[in-house]
Amino acid sequence: MRPQLLRSSLGCLVTLLSPFPASCTNKGVTRTAAAVTSLYYSRKMMHYQTEERGHPNSPDYRIYFKTSDGKYISPFHDIPLKAESEKDNDVPAKKPKSEMKVLYNMVVEVPRWSNAKMEIATKEPLNPIKQDVKKGKLRYVANIFPHKGYIWNYGALPQTWEDPNHKDKETNCCGDNDPIDVCDIGTQVCSPGQVIQVKVLGILAMIDEGEMDWKVIAINANDPDAEKLNCIEDVRRSRPGHLEATVEWFRKYKVPDGKPENQFGFNEEFKDKDFAVEIIESTHEHWRALVHKQTHAGGIECKNMSCCGSPFQFSAEEARAVVQSAPAFGNAHPVSAEVNKWHFV
Amino acid sequence: MRFSRCHQPGAAVVFRRRLPSSRSTNSSNRPLNMSFTVEERGNPNSLSYRLFFKNTEGKYISPFHDIPIYADESQNIFHMVVEVPRWTNAKMEIATKDFLNPIKQDVKKGKLRYVANVFPHKGYIWNYGAIPQTWEDPAHKDGDTDCCGDNDPIDVCEIGSRVCTRGEVIKVKVLGVLAMIDEGETDWKVIAINVEDPEAKEFNNISDVKRLKPGYLEATVDWFKRYKVPDGKPENRFAFNEEFKDKDFAIKVIKSTHGFWKALICQQTNAGELNCKNTCVSAGDSPFCCSADEAKAAVGETCPCGKEEPIPSSVDKWFYYERK
Repeated sequence: MRPQLLRSSLGCLVTLLSPFPASCTNKGVTRTAAAVTSLYYSRKMMHYQTEERGHPNSPDYRIYFKTSDGKYISPFHDIPLKAESEKDNDVPAKKPKSEMKVLYNMVVEVPRWSNAKMEIATKEPLNPIKQDVKKGKLRYVANIFPHKGYIWNYGALPQTWEDPNHKDKETNCCGDNDPIDVCDIGTQVCSPGQVIQVKVLGILAMIDEGEMDWKVIAINANDPDAEKLNCIEDVRRSRPGHLEATVEWFRKYKVPDGKPENQFGFNEEFKDKDFAVEIIESTHEHWRALVHKQTHAGGIECKNMSCCGSPFQFSAEEARAVVQSAPAFGNAHPVSAEVNKWHFV
Repeated sequence: MRFSRCHQPGAAVVFRRRLPSSRSTNSSNRPLNMSFTVEERGNPNSLSYRLFFKNTEGKYISPFHDIPIYADESQNIFHMVVEVPRWTNAKMEIATKDFLNPIKQDVKKGKLRYVANVFPHKGYIWNYGAIPQTWEDPAHKDGDTDCCGDNDPIDVCEIGSRVCTRGEVIKVKVLGVLAMIDEGETDWKVIAINVEDPEAKEFNNISDVKRLKPGYLEATVDWFKRYKVPDGKPENRFAFNEEFKDKDFAIKVIKSTHGFWKALICQQTNAGELNCKNTCVSAGDSPFCCSADEAKAAVGETCPCGKEEPIPSSVDKWFYYERK
């Protein structure tokens, strides 16, 4: 089914998802993706599985998350921000030996080079991944010449939230009401719903349609270059042009939809890793306040399975009922040829 | 489709096409409507994969020799055989040395060849293919490049919006040409646009490409210059100071490679290892003509179409170079 999806949108480009074994359960399709042990010190292996529902390239398509023992979870609230051993997420983790060795979990939403705007559905129970809809139509990001789709694996850090009630000091903009976004510059093309461990390298302060929208720059810990990359300057050196392309991409990506160019804080410069970590921690605190009802949720679905002390707790039965009420997994719908248009802006 | 008699060796060769149906070509809105289908054999992304071509009558044909060069000669609309869809990496080619010249994946050092992604590009940045009934003669040294031909049909980069499919035969307007020298051989790159592109009317010459798709031509030079560097080859060179020549020049080059092909198919030129067997150039014109049955038998002997093999993840690697 997946090859069909990609064939219709990308000609003969073959599946990105074949490495993952799939099995059919309860009208859904489950894929298993293992989280990798750290290179630095041993962590417990965390396995997350995804269960697809509905039809890819249609408004009913959903990717639900579950633990390896089949318990449904929210990728927004129940996957730990830091890739440490499994414990109650609400208990602050022990500080790692050195900040340098911290790895973060990243929930991949959009594979590199693809166009479908897949997102964690922050307003739906269990926060599955779904395709964004604008003006009643499924959203596909434009190809801004010379780029094809997204130029990194794109996704979010779980347990973070850019609070719309909070105004950033530098940019004077409020948060965009979403988890913080991440661009993974590793070589592997990931799949939607894949959970990977990343090293944070830097951050870009984007202002998207007037809202604060930080873009963390990170690399998959599994990447052959991961050990050599420790700061934003390393990225500049080993991947010349990619950071400049990143700014250009974010500047222009909504222009074909009739929106203006986006703007940036700090004179369009990438801030380094320490600053990035501070921002991530701050969005992590905003998230903590959110699930503990200390902040106004504003439409966000805060129900979770694992946050001790959170008033928004799901039972396993409730969670299962949510997933089972979703339509059965089916064939991908075709993608319009419009999605392949190359825009010169 | 039949061709008139080939003249004596050395004399000018005249090919006149007679169509089974009586469609006229006196208007640019009514190009010739020949349709071709493909038949997949073997497993995609494997050594066994072959894409054979058939005409509307279901007869196996060679995409090199049996598809007419012109879709509409009066309007200079050419046929293009798409080998590589935009944004893909598998190096698919018309197999010039194989019977019936199917499309297959190029193999180098025993391995299936995938073109590298050279940042910021992903795979090929146009639909890429060839104009049928053309040939860059390796015995001929080109006056502009001072290099001999690369022994292949002339290459085309189609810049339209739609991503075509492998083996698709489309009609294109020629806009210009780039004189590449690839590993010391002349390797012209025709720039063209699908006549069915929504913007095709706006594109009539190379200057229109510069105006309407700024950066595309520069990216094209950049792509061809560097695409073999990840494989350890040096950067490619170009004639004319890396400039694109315009439509008229391009058409002259294409016609000249058509001339070389005509000589080849009439056996006036040494074919070397090329397979010139064809089913549509009439027996009087080409000593290489073969019967539809012979063609069918040959295809029947190839592996039946099977499951697609996965593409190695190493194909996703992005290579970075400093631009000087």
